[in-house]
Order: sequence, then structure tokens, then C-alpha cells
Amino acid sequence: MFLFAIGVGLCLLSALICVVNTRRDNSITRKAALWLTIAACLIFVSEGARTALNNQPLQYSFSQIAPQLQFSFSIDRLAAFFILVISIVALSVAIYSLRYIEASTSGIRRNLFVPLMNVFILSMLCFVASANSFAQLLFWELISLSSFILVMYHYEKEETRKAGIFYFIMTQMSTIFLMLGFILLYNATGSFTIASSPVLTAGTNTLVFIFLFCGFGIKAGIIPFHKWLPYAHSSSPSNISALMSGVMIKVAIYGLVRYVLFVLDPQLWWGILILIAGTISALLGVIYALKEHDIKRLLAYHSIENIGIILIGLGLYIIFDSYGLSDLAFLSLAASLFHTLNHAIFKSLLFLTAGSVVEETGTRDIEKMGGLVKTMPITASLFLIGALSISALPPFNGFVSELMIFQAFFQAFAIPSHYVIVLLVVCLSLFALTSALAAACFVKAFGVIFLAMPRSDTVQQAHEVPKSMLIGPALLAFLCVGLGIFSFQIFSWLGYQPPMPNLLWVSLSLFIFLGLTVILVRAASGHVTRRAETWACGMPTPDSHSEYTAAGFSEPILTFFKPIYKTDKVIERNFWDKYGAVFKSGRADIHVMKIFEEKLYIPVANAIRSISRKVSAAQNVDLDTFILYSFITVIILIIVAGWVL
Amino acid sequence: MMNPISIILIKVLFVFILGTAALIIMQKSLRSLFSIYAIQSLLMAFVSLVLFKETGSFVLLALAVLTVVTKVIIIPYMLNRVRKDSGIHHDAEFRYLTPVSAIIIGMALIFVIYSSFLRVFQLSQDNLFFLGSVIGVSLAMLGMLVIFSRKKIVTKAVGYLMMENGVLLFGVFIAELPFIIELFIIVDLVIFILLAAVLSMGIDSTEEDLTRKLNNLTKWFKQ
Repeated sequence: MFLFAIGVGLCLLSALICVVNTRRDNSITRKAALWLTIAACLIFVSEGARTALNNQPLQYSFSQIAPQLQFSFSIDRLAAFFILVISIVALSVAIYSLRYIEASTSGIRRNLFVPLMNVFILSMLCFVASANSFAQLLFWELISLSSFILVMYHYEKEETRKAGIFYFIMTQMSTIFLMLGFILLYNATGSFTIASSPVLTAGTNTLVFIFLFCGFGIKAGIIPFHKWLPYAHSSSPSNISALMSGVMIKVAIYGLVRYVLFVLDPQLWWGILILIAGTISALLGVIYALKEHDIKRLLAYHSIENIGIILIGLGLYIIFDSYGLSDLAFLSLAASLFHTLNHAIFKSLLFLTAGSVVEETGTRDIEKMGGLVKTMPITASLFLIGALSISALPPFNGFVSELMIFQAFFQAFAIPSHYVIVLLVVCLSLFALTSALAAACFVKAFGVIFLAMPRSDTVQQAHEVPKSMLIGPALLAFLCVGLGIFSFQIFSWLGYQPPMPNLLWVSLSLFIFLGLTVILVRAASGHVTRRAETWACGMPTPDSHSEYTAAGFSEPILTFFKPIYKTDKVIERNFWDKYGAVFKSGRADIHVMKIFEEKLYIPVANAIRSISRKVSAAQNVDLDTFILYSFITVIILIIVAGWVL
Repeated sequence: MMNPISIILIKVLFVFILGTAALIIMQKSLRSLFSIYAIQSLLMAFVSLVLFKETGSFVLLALAVLTVVTKVIIIPYMLNRVRKDSGIHHDAEFRYLTPVSAIIIGMALIFVIYSSFLRVFQLSQDNLFFLGSVIGVSLAMLGMLVIFSRKKIVTKAVGYLMMENGVLLFGVFIAELPFIIELFIIVDLVIFILLAAVLSMGIDSTEEDLTRKLNNLTKWFKQ
């Protein structure tokens, strides 16, 4: 615990350095502070890994506020694993930030960025390490507040302000749900300590689960609580998007896993609910990602998809565990947790590289990019590794965790209930569709951003980002490859033999086959290179306008999933001749309905606004009316005292 | 054990007290309103006297004397003096409730309080302390009803005074005496403020006038 305390101290010292020098725009101070953060993250990584491997829980408590209220920390294997996830991402983000934050316009804002980021990272670590729900709630609020301020970093933009307020409201709703759950638990057990309790009645058990599922679900971005996520992730600075998408939503997953597995008594229907919520989130997340042309929003929707995949694993764990199939349950849980780590790594990598691209091109619209592989080759390679990982292609890490979930699904026939088997088969098919669509989405993203010709002048002038903005993502890219290839060895090291192939041999085989294919093709082609101009459909000078666009790529999918998107196509064409043979000009728009926003969020918001107006009108009255209210209230109290109590 | 005659006497006094409350709700003439209030206070003093006779507690005697001096003599006298000076003799402005509907609601209210307290206190219906608490709370509620159903501030003041009588009655029969005194002081303060406002601003002022006049004072702070 001593080293953890040193890490916390370094983070706070780093924050303090920047706070003291807020008024002075000094990049050296900021860099020194960030180096301290990097050092702290390294300590957290090593300590997290050590505790996770040794499986020896660490405990520490201090500051007794009241007999039942104290800040106590306990780091077991699960907490250590999540600390590892947080600190790995935080480390690469801190390295990336060494240069990234210097791009901000205001010196004060740059100075405030480091302390806020440190508070954000520390509050997430403390939430995971907390041994009681009181401390967790406090750190949960700190996570919300610090991330809210970071989301509002570019507050001068209308879009950011909207995203920030949306995020703040949703995050406060999440806190309310958690508070209700924790209070119920406290009422039932008489303690805030996070521990299994046999005194919980079935009703309390269920009610606490519902509250916690909603509370953590909002923060994790489970559909239909997801709407804040694309707005907040796209509006915040890219390094913060990486932290939010890579880590913050995993903290919510940690909360859910911790309470469902270690405190409550999970029921079969909880597993079914989590599985269905996960499948819907995964499928709709990727479907919505496909229609997006805003790179950061596209990645945000993929976060929803991956949270869905993590939940699928968790749901499967509860279902298998309910039927006493402990091996399958453990496989599902291991898959879920491994995907948590993998998603944290490849999503942060994608957000950081996307941030570099946005920084260089000045736009988030992928339609305006193109050809960046020539000007930003390293960033393009790093993005490609992230894209391959998220698309679950071997031998990358995303493939391993998804394969483990598939393995668990394939053995669903061990379950005695036919209804549950049917449900699992349906979810399996949708999950398979999700994986395929994710690959399609990243073919679009990589193709449109990095390949072909640049679509604007700014993109043409883009160049490779500084080294620190490459080292941070490179670290994550290295982990994407390493965790995939050595996954079998890592699990064996931790004492678990998953039912899956040794990816090291698979990778070697793939590499050998690739090499052989290249050699064979070269040998068969006879070294003759034919040079010719690409056919451009008869156009005299083929330029970027003749390229395949993101909209064009998405169009068949938008048409296919029309019932989900509620797609509305508007096509206007003008011709030179009356026969409509020679095209003159035209316009084509594809409008996609924001279903959850238009059918759920806005009606709920309108209903709340209408109630608020009525309450406001009822409140804005004279003294007589207030006395009338008191009169009615006292009568109600008398009636309640006599007949209800 | 109380003397049966005293019990009957107190019950009769309760009936009269409720009668005066009904009259206060309906009365438009200010002179009659103040007189009825004085009579109600006198009846309250009688209740305290009877209880003093039965218990021998001198605090109850002091209470009776204090009630007669302040509520039967001084306050009605002051209110009548202001009424004469201003030349206004009637308050016919009602709000939310007409006198008849106020009486009907008042009756229903007493019934509800009676039924509720019967369940809460689990006492016999003939128990004097139970009846005292019911009449006390009913009186306080009827006073509240007068406050929000009348427009003129002077009538509202009578409503507050009636509330105070209700609290006093409830306290005499249910709560301990220090509690009574505490509430006495609090309610008296409210009445004092209202009376001061009436005496300084004029009897005809409504709450809006009062607010307007008080708002003028804010000019002092803006300079």
C-alpha cells in the first residue's frame, strides 16, 4: 500500500505544481507535472500487476468521519486488475498529453488541464480501491465533476456546452440511482462495507440490483442510457475522450461486477437482463457507429458496442452460474474482464490517434479527410492496429476476448432450459452480426481517413505529429499485439487454461503463410510490373470527388437497417435534356432519425419541463396560497396519521 | 378523578368555543368579529379556571388571568380603537372559500380530526383530554382557514389569534406547560408583528399593500 500512497502523492504534487503556476504560461512546469503523473502511473501499473498476480489483498483505512463513515481501501485481485487497466491507459494518455495540451489556446486552461486530469485519474483509482460504498459514492461524484469540467474544456463552443450539460444531467442521475442502492444496502445490512450479506431479503436484493444496474448502466453507456456518450466523447479533448471511453466507463463495469458478484445474490433473470441489454447495446452501438462520419462520435458509438460485449460476458457468467456450470461461468467472466482490458487499450489507442488526425486536419468529419497514410504514416499504422483489434481479427487482443465469448456461447447447450438455449442462440447470432459490422465500420473509417486522395487543402498540408503523441499510442498498440499473441501464456501465468488455441502458434502460422503467399505471388507474377492509369468512369481528371465516400460506404447498410435508422432519403436531380439522359446537377441527402433522442429523451425532458412549469407556477404565489398549501398539508398529515400509520 | 360537573362544564365550554369559531369564520362586521374573539378568549379562560379548580395548578390560574387581561380586554380594545379611527367597519372580502363553504369544510375538518385522533390516541371518546386535543387542533386549523380565506389583514390577525387559542387549548390538555409557553411566545410574536403592521399601515391594508410598503424600504439599501 506504501507504493500506492507514493503514486497518489506524486499525482497530487503534479496537480499542485500546475495549480500554483496557474497564471504563468510555462510549458516546462506543465511538462514536469506530467512527468510526475507518468511516474505515478508507472507505480500504479507495477503495483496493480503485482497485486493481481500475487492475489494478496491490500487493505488500508483512514479518516474515521463517524462510527460508520470512514475512508477505507481494499485492493483485491479484481480491484488490482481494474487499477492496472486505469493506470495503463492513464500512462499512455499522460505521455500523449506532453505535447497535445500545448495546442490549447489559453495558458490558464492548459495549466488547469493537468490537475483536472490527475483528479480524474485519481478519483477513478480511489473508486476502484474503496472498501465501502460511502467512499465510493464520494469518488464517483469526483469522477463526474472532474470529467464534466474536462468535457467543458472547449466551453466556448455551443456544441461543447450542450454536451457538457447533457453529460452532467445523466451523470447526476447515475449518482442518484447509486445513492438509492447504497442507502437500501445500508438499511438492510447496517454497514457501508462492500461485502456479501446473508441478511438481504429477496426484495431488497432485487431492488438494489435494479438501482445499481441503472446507476452504473448510465455511466457505462448501456442503451438506452447511452445518449450522453457520443456527445461528451466527441466534444472533449481527445486525450480525455481516451480516458473516458477507455477507462471511465470501465469503472462503471467494475462497480456492476463488484456488487453483482461480491455483495448481492445474482438471480437467473439478472443474467438474462444483462445479456439482452448487452446484445442490444452491442448491435445498436455498431449500427449507429456505421452511420457516423464524425470520427470521434464513431468511436464513441463503438464504446457502446464494446460495453455491450462486456455485458454479454457478464450476463453469460450469471446464467451459467445459476445452472451450476462453473467452468463456463468462469470462461464468460474471464472473457468479459479480458475484453474490458482490451477495449480500454484499443479504444484509447483509437481515440489518441484520432485526436492526432483531428489536430492535424482541423476537422472531425472523415468525409473531409483522405490520403493521410502518406503524410501521417506512423499514426496511420497505429490506427490500423487499433482498428484490427477492435474488429476482432487474429492475432490481436480483441479477437481473443471475443473468441472466448463465442466459445462460451457455443457451449450453451449444456443448459437444461430450452428457452434459455433459444435466447442464447439468438444473442449469439446477433453478436456475430455485431462483430462483422464492426469490421465493416473500420474498413470504412480507415479507408476514408487514411487511403485514397486528400479531400481538402488542410488535409493535404497535414504532417506527422510529435514523438510523444506517437509514443503514447505506440505503447497501447504494442499491448494490442502482445495481449493477443501471448494471451494463452498470460492466462496460464494467472493459473487459468482457457479453452482456446495458443495464439502464438496461430500468429506464427499466419506470418509464415503470409510470407509464403507473398513469395508465391511474386514468383508466379514473373516480376513484370504493368503500369496503367486507373479508369475514372470517363472523367478527364479523376480527383478526390470521384472517390468512394463514407456516406457511399454506409448507404447500403443504412438502407438495409432502415427500420432501425428510420432513414429518409432525399434525391434531387437536374438534367440538361428533357429525357433525363445528361446530368446537370443534383443533391442527395440521407437523414437518419435520432430515435432514442426523439422518441425517448426529448419526450421525457418535455414531460419533466411541463411538470416543472406547473410546480413553478404553484410555487410563485402569494402568502394566502402558501397558507392554503399548509392547511391542505396538515389535513393530509392528520389523515395519514389516523389511517395509514 | 375529575368532578362530573366540571367535565360537563368543560364540554359545554368546548361547544361554545366551536360556536365562536364558526361565527368568526362567517362574520363580516369587524366590531362583532372582535367581540366574538373576546368571547372565545373568555371561554378559554373559563376552561383554564375549571381545570385550575380541579388540579390546583396555579399556572392554569395565571393563564386564565393572562388570557382575560390580554385577549379579552387589551387586544379587542386596541383593534376596536383602530377600527373607529379608520372608519372601516366591515370585511366582506373572501378568497378561495365563501362563508358557507368555509363552515361546511370546517365541520368536515372537525370530523376528520376527531376520527384520526381517536385512532392515534386510542382513548375513550368521553375522555376530556382527547376532546380537548380535538377541539384545540380544530380551532388552530379553523384559524388557518380564516387566514387564507379572508382578504383584509385585520381579519387575518384574528385568524392568527384563533390559531393561538387552539394551540393553547391543545397544550393545556395534551402537552406539558413549558411547551405551551414556548408556543405561546412564538405565536404571540407573529401576532405582534401583524398587529404592528395593521396599526402602522392602516386597518384597510391588504397583504399587497403591505408588501408594496415594505418594498419601499429597499430603497434605503440601494443607495
